[in-house]
Amino acid sequence: MRLAYILCIAALCPAQDVTPVADHSGDAETGRWTFRIFCAPCHGIRADGGRGPDLTLGTYSAGDRDEDLARVISRGVPGTEMAAYAGRVSDEEIRRLVAYIRSVAHTSDNTSIRGDIAAGETIFWNKGGCGQCHRTGTKGSSIGPDLTRVGRQRSLAYLRASLLQPDADVTPGYATVTVVTRDGKKIVGVERNFDNFSAQFVDLSGKYYSFEREDVISMKREPRSLMPSTYGQVLNETEVNDLLAFLSSLRGGR
Amino acid sequence: MKLLVVLTCTVALAQDWTSYGKNTFGWRYSELDQINTKTVMRLTPQWMYQTNVPGKNETTPLVFGGMMYITGPSNNAWALDAVTGRPIWSYKKAAPAGVNLCCGQVNRGFAVHGNTLFKVDLQGTLVALDAKSGTVLWESTLEDYKKGYSATSAPLVVKNLVITGMAGAEFGTRGFIDAYDAETGKRVWRVNTVAADASWSGDSWKRGGGSTWITGTYDPSLNLIYWGTGNPGPDMDGEQRRGDNLYTCSLLAIDADTGKIKWYFQFTPHDLHDWDAVGDPVLTDLVMNGRTVKAVIQANRNGFFYALDRTNGKVLLSKAYTRITWADGIDSDGRPVPIAGQEPTEEGKRTCPGMGGGHNWQATAYSPLTGLYYFTSAEKCMLFYRTKQAFVEGQWYQASTIGRDEPGNGRIDAIDPKTGKLAWYFETVSSPAGGVLATAGGLVFVGDAEGYLIALDARTGKALWRFQTGGTIIAPPISYALNGRQYIAVAAGQTMMTFSLPKL
Repeated sequence: MRLAYILCIAALCPAQDVTPVADHSGDAETGRWTFRIFCAPCHGIRADGGRGPDLTLGTYSAGDRDEDLARVISRGVPGTEMAAYAGRVSDEEIRRLVAYIRSVAHTSDNTSIRGDIAAGETIFWNKGGCGQCHRTGTKGSSIGPDLTRVGRQRSLAYLRASLLQPDADVTPGYATVTVVTRDGKKIVGVERNFDNFSAQFVDLSGKYYSFEREDVISMKREPRSLMPSTYGQVLNETEVNDLLAFLSSLRGGR
Repeated sequence: MKLLVVLTCTVALAQDWTSYGKNTFGWRYSELDQINTKTVMRLTPQWMYQTNVPGKNETTPLVFGGMMYITGPSNNAWALDAVTGRPIWSYKKAAPAGVNLCCGQVNRGFAVHGNTLFKVDLQGTLVALDAKSGTVLWESTLEDYKKGYSATSAPLVVKNLVITGMAGAEFGTRGFIDAYDAETGKRVWRVNTVAADASWSGDSWKRGGGSTWITGTYDPSLNLIYWGTGNPGPDMDGEQRRGDNLYTCSLLAIDADTGKIKWYFQFTPHDLHDWDAVGDPVLTDLVMNGRTVKAVIQANRNGFFYALDRTNGKVLLSKAYTRITWADGIDSDGRPVPIAGQEPTEEGKRTCPGMGGGHNWQATAYSPLTGLYYFTSAEKCMLFYRTKQAFVEGQWYQASTIGRDEPGNGRIDAIDPKTGKLAWYFETVSSPAGGVLATAGGLVFVGDAEGYLIALDARTGKALWRFQTGGTIIAPPISYALNGRQYIAVAAGQTMMTFSLPKL
């Protein structure tokens, strides 16, 4: 049934690229409620993104046609956090979800970033020092999260919050670990593993540590980031926008 | 106390494990003490059986006659040699594509009567198997899976009856507890856990939820079965089901012969936060105010620990064991004193505990040796959103969503059930995943989300031993003995593992 629906749309409407599905009255509103149940935990209660991409931009990673959206909802995106909802959400509901997503396209101010991508890239590797911890493609460091596809994965608002208030939402697996050794030395780093009996982490020079709890005075993991929280002061508004424009342009394949 | 154990487990021998909760009181207490606080540091792996079936393993193994019987995800089950772990027979039944489950294709174990094993399959069926061969003897359908019904829990054998719960409160079902004749598979009685009464507005009871997805307990002296019920549906939209919504989020005491409800106790009237009351109802006699009371105890998902008089359902004691922002306490009738404005809203309302509650479904334990009650708990809060949702038969019907999981620690708690006071706790770095086992060796065993099987001192909570299994532990550990050796067994990841002291 699902396949038939997709094939049908593909066959009948090959040229219908970004035109919304005819919005039968109430479809978008019904879709909004379904969206809140299944999609909001990652894409935000207003669809403007979070850990999942911002869906109000009006352009989507896996294709901009209605059938692309339906396919992604139905089958998920392998290799990402986007799960397949076929079986959990009916084809009819998927159609309404698409109607809702269309209805919120271009409603946020997330598209209004006016930044210079090239200037942002320069800031990333030089003044910002971002590459000391982050990687894009094969360049940079792997202490913090890989940013190769971050423009697809995170909304602009989320990126702005992450840049200016790094503690706002720490990516799971990248918390701050602090160990005090028996000789009183305090070692701080970014989590690789942390469990009830041991900690593995890398410090900001990239050095790897592994400790068992009984061999140290204390070990703790905190949901805060080791990323500097001073970018709001270090960079001026233009530089922040340039950097965000660069980050938004990171869509893999570099 | 020891005498009581013998009396209540006339069939079960100390070396076997023949019921979900070990005895029908749900203690999960092994009388074996070869592995104890002094010897546990020598505990070593004995065998591993790799099921090669992906999914969450929540099984409580049964062990008798030299065999271990385990169930796995996706309607799989195995009989393993309990000394070597070698497979003797296996069972598999395909689950139809249309089975809707909230939380994975899980199963929590077998029940046994004589030489017949009983398990539920995901599509809402109860199956009887010959323990020697795995041959299917009969199969009965609880309710139509196309209407949202499913089954995941281990059955409970009471006399010649097989008692089973169901799952599916998130799919607009009406919950029940069923009793089937162990010989024939014919249904003897059914208790509807959603009353068709004025505690529900309109006809909302027809899809009122109240599923019964964790095994209950049984007191032979009162001939009463105790079984917890789940949340009302839709979960967070109370407007569609105004009223107390009986008997959701309740404990039911059911006459084993007739299936009549003798009493009920509703922990959370008109629940809006998915706080099921399905956790093990543990039966124990408590000395309170100088008199011995037949009690049933439960660390409820709503954040309060309760001791009830199990003869009449009157509340003896209630005490918060985790952070609670939704109620000021429990009144003398057992009814929560709600704090206004804690209902889920369209914009989201942050409430503690979170949706997983203080303690959820994971198996608990009671040790007559220490007199303590052991359970896993979380200290967490969560954003609860209310949502509108039209009812479609058999489809997801929750009318709600929650915010992103907040970081928070977990704990293994040891509570004195006479007072509700915390005797000790063992803090864990993530929300608790596994169930608990207590032993006469003075130990408490528990698995964690990161794959450790841990032995704690039952009196102090000190970690005495651990082993990294390499797979998340959701299942509760059990203990058994064969050929003079005590074993600890637990499912970790896709693997069944056992541990014992080295042969001398």
